[in-house]
Amino acid sequence: MVSENVEEYLECIWELTQDGTPARTTDIAKRMKFSPASVTEMLQKLDAAGYIVYEKYKGATLTEEGMRIGSTIKRRHRLLERFLVDVLGIDKEKSHDEACRLEHMLSEESERRISEIMNHPTTCPDGDPIPRMEEICKVEPDKRSVVLSDLEEGCEGTISHLRCDDSQKIRRIISMGFVPNRHLAIEERLPMNGPVLVKVGDSRVALAKDYADLVYVHVRPGCGKRRCRRGR
Amino acid sequence: MGKSVVFNRLTGIGAISSNYPGTTVEILKGEMLISGRKATIMDLPGLYSLTSGAEDQMVASRMLLESTPDVVVVVADATRLEPSIVLISQLIELDFPVLVALNMMDVARKRGEVNVPALSKTLGVPIVPTVAVTGEGIDSLLKAIETYRKEPSRFKVRYDSHIEAYLEVLARSMKDTELRYPPRGAFIKLLEGDGNFTQGIPQELRQKVQRLRNEFKEEHDEDMEVHVNRDRYGEAGRIITQVVTPIPQERTLGQKLSDLTLRPSTGIPILLLVLAGVLASIIFIGGFLEGLLMDLYASFVGDLFVDMGASIGGTLGPALMSGLDLSIQAMLALVIPYILLFYLILALLEDSGYLPRVVVLLDSLMHKVGLHGQALIPMLVGMGCNVPAILATRVIESRREKLIIATIIVMAVPCSAQMAIIVGTVGNFGGPLYVAAILAILVSLVVLLALLLHKAIKFEPGSLMIEIPDLMIPRPTNVWGKTSMRVKEFFLIAFPILLVGSLFLETLSAYGVLEAIVEPMAFFTEGFLGLPAVVIIALIFGILRKEMSYQLLIVLFGTADLASVMTVDQFFVFALVMATFMPCMSTLAAMIKEYGVKDSLKVTFASIALAFTLGGLANFLLTHVI
Repeated sequence: MVSENVEEYLECIWELTQDGTPARTTDIAKRMKFSPASVTEMLQKLDAAGYIVYEKYKGATLTEEGMRIGSTIKRRHRLLERFLVDVLGIDKEKSHDEACRLEHMLSEESERRISEIMNHPTTCPDGDPIPRMEEICKVEPDKRSVVLSDLEEGCEGTISHLRCDDSQKIRRIISMGFVPNRHLAIEERLPMNGPVLVKVGDSRVALAKDYADLVYVHVRPGCGKRRCRRGR
Repeated sequence: MGKSVVFNRLTGIGAISSNYPGTTVEILKGEMLISGRKATIMDLPGLYSLTSGAEDQMVASRMLLESTPDVVVVVADATRLEPSIVLISQLIELDFPVLVALNMMDVARKRGEVNVPALSKTLGVPIVPTVAVTGEGIDSLLKAIETYRKEPSRFKVRYDSHIEAYLEVLARSMKDTELRYPPRGAFIKLLEGDGNFTQGIPQELRQKVQRLRNEFKEEHDEDMEVHVNRDRYGEAGRIITQVVTPIPQERTLGQKLSDLTLRPSTGIPILLLVLAGVLASIIFIGGFLEGLLMDLYASFVGDLFVDMGASIGGTLGPALMSGLDLSIQAMLALVIPYILLFYLILALLEDSGYLPRVVVLLDSLMHKVGLHGQALIPMLVGMGCNVPAILATRVIESRREKLIIATIIVMAVPCSAQMAIIVGTVGNFGGPLYVAAILAILVSLVVLLALLLHKAIKFEPGSLMIEIPDLMIPRPTNVWGKTSMRVKEFFLIAFPILLVGSLFLETLSAYGVLEAIVEPMAFFTEGFLGLPAVVIIALIFGILRKEMSYQLLIVLFGTADLASVMTVDQFFVFALVMATFMPCMSTLAAMIKEYGVKDSLKVTFASIALAFTLGGLANFLLTHVI
């Protein structure tokens, strides 16, 4: 079990390294409201524990394990903010502090359920992206809906929902028979970002990627997915 | 699919039907007698839903909205019942007098047993099983139309409780007002976000519905229409499990072949083979037919008209007779061997259901030049005739992309007449290599134009979404019917024009006026294009109809043996100019109707400039470089 303090640090470093450069001690100190000296001391400990790589004068970068923890906490934080603001109606300032406390206690399952209830939001109330995690890909396949454009040839399942803000597009895709609960099978994926050939009901339809992006499918267990979406 | 076939069977009018959706983009009207009364029948574009984004489907909804039909015949595909039941349920909701022609029963019977009476009872509408292509069941359909009496259907799709609750509230508020359509149906339309079929609903209720829609979306993060249609398809699926007993199917040879045409590794080679086959048949079979017909003409008619002209005497006699003689030869040399043959091949391809596969295979390639696969359908149609091709651009959503495709079709996609010119002149006298050269120029022109126009007119290419029909063996009757209908105009409209044109030109020539006309242009015709001066007349007449330019060469030179008057290089320049030349009159009219005068004229002038530039360039290269 990682301590809350370590989680806070990793979360902070995760955020500061998003621009691709190491997190500098002074920035961490400013963010965490600690003295630079105690930050340096903590960074050395984290390095020793294998969460980060710390280089003097350059700063800290996350190891794979550190990255996993940091992004998980950040995701939970932003997801909780979203939940507190959108669902419970708590104001934004308060939601931040509260999320800061709750993020360390949230179980993986609750996190997934919250995300599901809110239809997997992608940004927090401030508009920052909610990192997606490998964890999402590990959930049992029968409970998960996958976007059609990510499915492999030979996959089948039923349509779970459609997602799009362009009502014109939604109508067109509905009129081709893509509606929830209908059976669907991927017959062929054309190379070079070409269309996907889908059997929906008794009809066969070729769909370009941006239409396939709108359709989410409950896949049958055992179906392969093309690729895992990595956390950003 | 199938509506047009049913329409043709009922009215005897030839509506073009093919084995892919979107063939009918306009409403065709026909008349017939039903129990001694004149009835008007309209053929609508196919639609899966009354609420749809595509323009061709909107045409159909609008027609239903504007007319008060006595019967709406839904031609349902018995092999794909679900979407048809969804459409029928929407029509029933709006209280349209529905009669169902359950088409393609022959195929459906092989796949499962359809309990037609049970289906009819569930839906509460009369159903007549038909096989339109063979005519089976058409008499019963006619009888059913004749004796149709609307009975209220009790069939109702139950939507989820949320939507039903909305409907109840809304319907209650409209209790005292008469609506043209039943409140339930009208409100469902509004809830779906479609204003059609909702006349009479007051503004404040509309706003309320909009609020409900927003509320629903907030809550479910999904549009209301998604849920509405989920319930419709759910209901349709349930009905099907009750009335259809499927027979387990082996994968047929046809299906395996169908898969091969779609898988890129085999599909692309097949596509290339098909293309090569089409070209080879036009060049070789067309050439053979032309030779055969000209020989037959020579041995049976020979100098008949020339002798007649001589016996009439005077200046005009021989001139008019030779005009007639040459016009007939021109028809034999071009229309029958090349144009008829081409349309025959096109019809075969259309009816086999192969064309949508081309669209799918080439979609990503088309994206590279800034277009999308669906744009291929109008282009392929354009290889027959540009007029329906311009109409077919309607299947594309964005106006900009539409205009770009229309421009490409006019400038770089050879229609059957242009193809006949290419194959009949430079192909016939110079060989397949020259044809290939011109086609290569045209293909690069398509690519260049697409890229350039894409740069000039900024737009996002639309995305492909197309239904792929099963491969089918084309029915000879449909293939022949379609072909003869398309070729008919070459005899009925084009031949008279050609005849009048040739008589006029022969007369001018007989009085020696022709030289005087072509002389001032000679600097251009001879100097720039390197063609005989008199050819300018053929080019000008090509504006009326493309094939006329070739036919008039025969008239102008007074012989069907064109190899004796022009060189292969000259034919090459001529064919290249004609292949890219301005749209013919009918195409121009269609363009103006579809895109307005300004854009159409721009395209016209651009294509004239392009054609002459290419022609001049080709002449320069052929005479000075090669």
